[in-house]
Amino acid sequence: MVTFVAFSLRRAWQGFWRNALMSLAATLTMVLMLLLLAGFFVLQNVLLASLGFVEQKVEVVAYLQHNATQSQTDELVGRLEAMPEVTSVEYVSRDEALRRFKEAQAAQGREDLTQYLEANPLYASVNVKLRSPAELRTVTDALQPQREPIVRNVLNIQALVERVLTVTNFVRTAGVAMVAIVGVIVLFIIVNTIRLAVVARAEEIEIMRLVGASDAFIRWPFVFEGALVGLLGALIALGLLAVSADPLSKAMVGFFSVLPLQLGSVARDTAVIVLATGLGLGVLGSWLSVRTYLIR
Amino acid sequence: MTVAPPSTPPSLFDRLTGRRHVPRPEHPVVVLHDVTMRYPNGKEALKDVDLVVPEGDFVFLVGPSGAGKSTIMKLLIRDELATRGVVIVDGDDVARIGRRAVPRVRRKIGIVFQDFKLLPRKTVWENVAFALEVTGTPRHRIRPAVDRVLALVGLTAQAPQYPAQLSGGEQQRTAIARALVHDPRIIIADEPTGNLDPVISWEIIQLLLRINELGVTILMATHDAEVVTALRKRVVALEDGRVIRDETGAGYHRED
Repeated sequence: MVTFVAFSLRRAWQGFWRNALMSLAATLTMVLMLLLLAGFFVLQNVLLASLGFVEQKVEVVAYLQHNATQSQTDELVGRLEAMPEVTSVEYVSRDEALRRFKEAQAAQGREDLTQYLEANPLYASVNVKLRSPAELRTVTDALQPQREPIVRNVLNIQALVERVLTVTNFVRTAGVAMVAIVGVIVLFIIVNTIRLAVVARAEEIEIMRLVGASDAFIRWPFVFEGALVGLLGALIALGLLAVSADPLSKAMVGFFSVLPLQLGSVARDTAVIVLATGLGLGVLGSWLSVRTYLIR
Repeated sequence: MTVAPPSTPPSLFDRLTGRRHVPRPEHPVVVLHDVTMRYPNGKEALKDVDLVVPEGDFVFLVGPSGAGKSTIMKLLIRDELATRGVVIVDGDDVARIGRRAVPRVRRKIGIVFQDFKLLPRKTVWENVAFALEVTGTPRHRIRPAVDRVLALVGLTAQAPQYPAQLSGGEQQRTAIARALVHDPRIIIADEPTGNLDPVISWEIIQLLLRINELGVTILMATHDAEVVTALRKRVVALEDGRVIRDETGAGYHRED
C-alpha cells in the first residue's frame, strides 16, 4: 500500500514534468477557466447584493391617528417587532416627520414652506422594514385600521413591490443560470484538456497494460497528476485574484460602498470554489480519460 | 552455441535469476481448443483453431498477413475474447478469470513486438524497471532483477542510454529484457525481427533460443522463412484463420 501510494505520487510528479509542455498547457487552461468561473461567481454575488439592496428599500409605512397615545404606539411597535417577517420598526413622531420634510426641502434647495403653517399637518408613522418584500401583504394586512385602531391608513405600494419582485426574481434566476452555464463550459474544457494530456501518453498506458499492471496502478498516477494540475491551476488563479482584488475593489469602491456586500465572505467562498473546482475537475478529468483505456 | 538439455542444472538463467525451473513438457503453457474469433465487423480471424504448446517448447507461428497470427496473440493476453472455444494460459481459462485477474495472467507472459514499444523518455534501465514498477514490485527488488536481465541480454553497458541512442537490435534486446523481467512462463514475440536486418535478426533469434534453453516457452510469429527453415523447430502454419500445418522439426514451407 505504501509502495503503491509512493509509486503513484512519484509517477504523477514524473509524468507532470516529463511532459512539461502538455502539463503547462493543461495548467494554463485550468487557470483561465478558474478565473472565468471566479469572475462570474463574484459578479453573481455583486448582483445578489444589489438585488438585496433594492429589496431592502421596500418599507411598509403606516400613518397613525393624531390621538394615538404613547403607550398605544409602543404596544403597536412591540407587536410589529414580534412578527417574524419584520426586521426593524422605526417610529417617526409628528415633529420628526416635520423636521425630515424640512430637511428634504432644504436639500433640494427649495423655500421652507412650513413657516407659513399654523400647525404641523403631518402624521406620525411607523416605518416597518421587511425581511423580504414578498411578505409585504402580511404586514400590510396586520396594520389595517380595522385591526389596529390607532392606524389611520397604510401606504399602498403593493403594485410597485410586485413589479420590483418580478424584476429581481428574473435577474436572480438569470444569474444562477449564467453561473451554471459557465460552470458546464469550464467542466468540458478542463476535462477535454486533461484528456489530451492523457491521450498523448496512450503508448505508455498500452505498455503498462501489456506488462500486467493492474488498473489501479495505471489509473492513480494519472489521477494524482490531474489533481496536481488542478491544485497548481487553482493556486495560480487564486494568486492572480488576490493580486488583482485590491485595485479592482478600489476602482469600484464607490459602487460597492452602497451595497451591503461582505467582501470577506465572498473572497473566502471564491477561494473554496476555485480550489474545489480545480482539484475536482483535475481528478474527474483524468479518471474519465484513463477509464477509456482500461475498459476492454 | 551448445545446446544444453533442459535438465542440466544449474542453467545460466538459474544462476542469473536464482530461479530453479525445470520445464515439464507434459504441462501445457498454452491451450487453444476449438477457438473461433469473429470481430465485430464480421471478419472471421480464426476458425476452429486447436493449439497446444507444452512447457519449454519453441514454436514458430507462420503464415501470410491476416492469417490470424496476431489474433492468437491478442487472445493469449486477453486483449480480445474468443467468440467461441477455450483459451488457457498456464492453467487459467482467460475467458473465466474476470477483469481483475487479467494483470496476474499477463505477468506470466512476456510480449515482444516488431516495433519494440519502448518509452523514448526513459533509459534502457528505466524501460525495463518500468515493467516491475507498474506491477507494484518493491524498489529494493527492482534493482537486482533489472540488472540481472540486462546482463542476460547483454545490455549492461547500455543501461543508462536512451532508446534513440541504440541500434535496432539493442532496442529489441531491451524489449526482450522487459518481457523477461517478470520471469514469465512464456514469451510471445510478434515479428520480433521484422524491422531488423538479417545479421541483427540472427542475434535476436540466438537470444530467444538461449532464453528457451533456460526453460521459457517461446511462441514467435514470423515471416522470416530463412530463420524458420534453418532452426528446424516446431512450425504452426495458419491460413485464413485455420491451422493448415503443425509439424515439429519443419521448415517455413511445406516439404512433401
